[in-house]
Amino acid sequence: MQSNKLGWFLLAPTLVVLFFFGVVPFLYVVWLAFHQWNPFAVDPTIIYNGAENFRRLVFDQAFLSSLGVTLAFTFFAVTTQVILGYVLAQAFMRDFPGKAIFRTIHTLPLIMAPIIVGSIWKLMTTPSIGIIPHYLDQWFGYDLNIGQSAIAAFTITVIMDVWHWTPLVTLTLIAALVSLPPDPFEQAQIDGANRRQIFWHITLPMISPAILATVFIRLMDALRTVDEVLMLTGGGPGSATRYLGVHIFREVFPRTNYGYGSAVSVIVLYLTIVVCWLLFVGLIAPRNKKA
Amino acid sequence: MTISLKAGASALALALAAQGAFAQDIQIENADWWQEAGAKFDGVTIRGVTESTPPSNFVTDVIAPKFEELTGIRVEIETTSWDQMYDKAIKDMEAGTGIYDVVYIEQDIVYSYLSRDFLVDMTAALEENSDLQAPGYSEDNFTTFADYFRGENGDLFGVPMEAFIKIYLYRTDLFDDEEIRAAFQEQTGRELEPAKTHEEYAEIAEFFTQYFQEQGEDIWGTTAQAHTGHPASWYEYVESILPTFGVYNWGINADEDYAATVEHGGEMNSDTAKEALTWWLSMRDIAPPESVQSTWTEVATTFAAGRAAQGLVYGENAAWIASDENQSRVVGNVGVALPPVEDGVMEEIEAGNGYIGYYDGGAFGIPVSSNNHEAALLFAQFLALPDLQEEWALAAPRITLTSTYDSERVQQLDEDLGGYFSMMRDDGALFQGAPPYPFHAQVREAVAPIFYSILTGSTGVDEGLDQMAERAEQELTNLGYRTN
Amino acid sequence: MKRQSTWLSLVFWIAVSLITLFPIYWLFVISVKPAVDLFTTPDLFLKSFYWQNYLDVLTDRTLRGYMWNSLIVSSGNALLVTTLGFLACYALTRYDLGGKESIFFWTITNRMAPPAVFLLPLFLLMTSYYRIGNFSLLDTKIGLILVYCTLNLPFAIWTLRPTLDGIPKDLDEAAYMDGASSWKVISEVVFPLARPGVAVTLMLTWVFAWNEYLLAATLTNFNARTLTTGLSEYVTTTGTEWGVMATISVFTLIPALIVFSLVQKHIVAGLTFGAVKG
Repeated sequence: MQSNKLGWFLLAPTLVVLFFFGVVPFLYVVWLAFHQWNPFAVDPTIIYNGAENFRRLVFDQAFLSSLGVTLAFTFFAVTTQVILGYVLAQAFMRDFPGKAIFRTIHTLPLIMAPIIVGSIWKLMTTPSIGIIPHYLDQWFGYDLNIGQSAIAAFTITVIMDVWHWTPLVTLTLIAALVSLPPDPFEQAQIDGANRRQIFWHITLPMISPAILATVFIRLMDALRTVDEVLMLTGGGPGSATRYLGVHIFREVFPRTNYGYGSAVSVIVLYLTIVVCWLLFVGLIAPRNKKA
Repeated sequence: MTISLKAGASALALALAAQGAFAQDIQIENADWWQEAGAKFDGVTIRGVTESTPPSNFVTDVIAPKFEELTGIRVEIETTSWDQMYDKAIKDMEAGTGIYDVVYIEQDIVYSYLSRDFLVDMTAALEENSDLQAPGYSEDNFTTFADYFRGENGDLFGVPMEAFIKIYLYRTDLFDDEEIRAAFQEQTGRELEPAKTHEEYAEIAEFFTQYFQEQGEDIWGTTAQAHTGHPASWYEYVESILPTFGVYNWGINADEDYAATVEHGGEMNSDTAKEALTWWLSMRDIAPPESVQSTWTEVATTFAAGRAAQGLVYGENAAWIASDENQSRVVGNVGVALPPVEDGVMEEIEAGNGYIGYYDGGAFGIPVSSNNHEAALLFAQFLALPDLQEEWALAAPRITLTSTYDSERVQQLDEDLGGYFSMMRDDGALFQGAPPYPFHAQVREAVAPIFYSILTGSTGVDEGLDQMAERAEQELTNLGYRTN
Repeated sequence: MKRQSTWLSLVFWIAVSLITLFPIYWLFVISVKPAVDLFTTPDLFLKSFYWQNYLDVLTDRTLRGYMWNSLIVSSGNALLVTTLGFLACYALTRYDLGGKESIFFWTITNRMAPPAVFLLPLFLLMTSYYRIGNFSLLDTKIGLILVYCTLNLPFAIWTLRPTLDGIPKDLDEAAYMDGASSWKVISEVVFPLARPGVAVTLMLTWVFAWNEYLLAATLTNFNARTLTTGLSEYVTTTGTEWGVMATISVFTLIPALIVFSLVQKHIVAGLTFGAVKG
């Protein structure tokens, strides 16, 4: 193997960029989290208040309910995306007429900005004038009202997210699947393994790092979703879709509650890291070592 | 603003441009003075931030180029969304970066900015630099709306650029329909006329919703700006519903240590407030189903689509609803009236002890952090020149100078709009700027989640308003405005 | 048997495509209707076209500038992060660097931050600290390209790592034995084999940068505004201009489609990789 110096040299630009644009702002946010600061309070200065923000957080009903719905949203959205994405990626591995066109169509949702996605889905689901509630009512007599029903709004945000981001999972999994060396599969076929055995014993272990990397990305992106939901429901009805990203946005943008908003962000970041770290240590790191 | 007005305005722009008459068409008196005044600021660029509304677009498309042409001072206007605009202006002024020389301020956030001394005192600055005092500009020209941009010393901190009132629109074709009138008479025993009181309004609303339901038509008796996750619903409640029941300033009592609960001397959870909210919710329930997702524009569009017989609609939308054939299905059928009130409230308002709604709008202010105060002062005065106002009022239905009402073309438009401008002129005093609180967004965001949950029905009105009043006091204590 | 499964897969893909396309079709519908016609009983099919939104958007010169900025920022950022990410992954998979698994994990934490709060420090840093003389990073394309690295570089590293792991190290070693330089090994041995992964990474990072809104909205003012910030101009206090927003989005699909089809070829090319090697 070549000298490690070259390795560090190749890694250095990444570390430098992430330090200046990731770590430095993060340190500022951590610092702010221990302060009280609202520029439109009677005292508009930045006042040190120890762990007060964090103490408040633990009893903050709005934060806790936001955390709850965010976790539920993330779970349903990401699980659906990964299963669907895998099925579609596998389906793309075969040859069929018009494959290139279908694949392009399938990636189209990705190229739409979240605020647009939120807008379209809002117009498609507004009670009485949206096309989806209209046909649900006409065909099934079901009244879909995302302005009143918490469940309806929650479900629509999940469906919207699945529509928007499943292609990302499909694409990364296609990349992983096409890079698989064919030898083990040929060998397995020679040994007379059936499809299910091949899937569980060969395909899945070989692409699980890619699946996990994708799950990670989707997980953390879903946990901080803002734009789509803000456009679709504004966090409503009530606080049914006030996911953490939206909650933090409302805390720091209109409410200019910078200190407290920073504390919420630090906690959210911490929770995300812990969840991901557990997944990582348990599932990805050992594989990387083996490899 | 809606697609409609924008499209309408730009269609107009294209038509006018084709005749070779737009920015060039506006004649400014004392052009020499502007040329000379601008000469001092050679190479200076003024940067501003605003929302992309029709009045602002007129500034970007017409006024700024005209100003550049005369003075040689370049003007760059950044247009962005509502949340972003405030966030960016606040970040800039708080950090003292000096990015912006002109910022858009609404009649509520101005008090936040004033409390932080973010804005330049224009009156004082012009007195100090009398050579910058433009001929044709005078503070006396403004309508009463300018009073909501004055500091405690009475000085002006922003030049008004748009002003609107939220009015009661009704469909004249329906109200004049013989068959409908007869049916209404039979059902209620009185003539069908625009409502003066909440009781009458509710009666009409219920009648229409029921009447058209029986006919199988998509017309309802009222509108409701009742989004269950957007501040628009909060604003309809505090600026148009509460005051007409006689509860002002959000039910927060500034004289009683900013109390919100009845217990401490506030009114946010008073019986009247509860009655008001209950009434509004009952109206919401017979409004078109999309109301639970409606913010300001959607209400206007609902009305324009002919889905409501009457409703409260922001004045900036009245123009295209009443006159733009491309955008509205009710052109020529729009009547304008004052919002209905509770018995006795009108007397209170006329005596000057209350208001019937917000006098909405915005102004341009100059941040203290700007490095080009003087050039920005020139631009600010330019915006208030009488010579520009007629075209501006025609492009976007806003009036900020009293003289604009006298223009013949504006009066012509007023007729098309069912008398909206005359109402603003004659009854504008019944409306009032937002309460002078420096904490609008803060308290609103603190109580809004509870308010939304009342709208969805998961919290009761009484219980919800009690919680809101408590939450408001808590937030005011946190911010330091309330001492206990 | 074979023919039947072809038909089945066609039916399957047509169904999937219809679901995928419907909201995009609806976007188009919104763009050719005046707002007032959206507020009525919805029709699945269009009966008339209203082109005013298209006229407005086409004649709007600022939007063209935004489009250009968006193209530069997203292409610049995608190329930068894919390059840096590729090199970083090469280092992570080929060298025995101390604590590399922790570094690998740490990179991704940069993407986890809820963006709203980080705008303030980024704004302060870019106006006051990351500057040379009069040149500050605020409101510049290069500034945005660098800021997007916090989102996209971790993504690139995480999607490229499995790809690079999958490329057998014997291949590099064989090349080194033949006396190839490190540069040659990276560019001529490893890179071609990693092309599907690189293509997907390029595409997705490009898309993330193309669609990013919150950071661009806060960190640009006049010179580096992107298309998404242009879109947000139509969301105002007085409401949302659905039609114009939809029209702009229809236009944003075009460059994105071109970029996608250019890069997608390489994913297809990757398909034959197994065969070549076998």
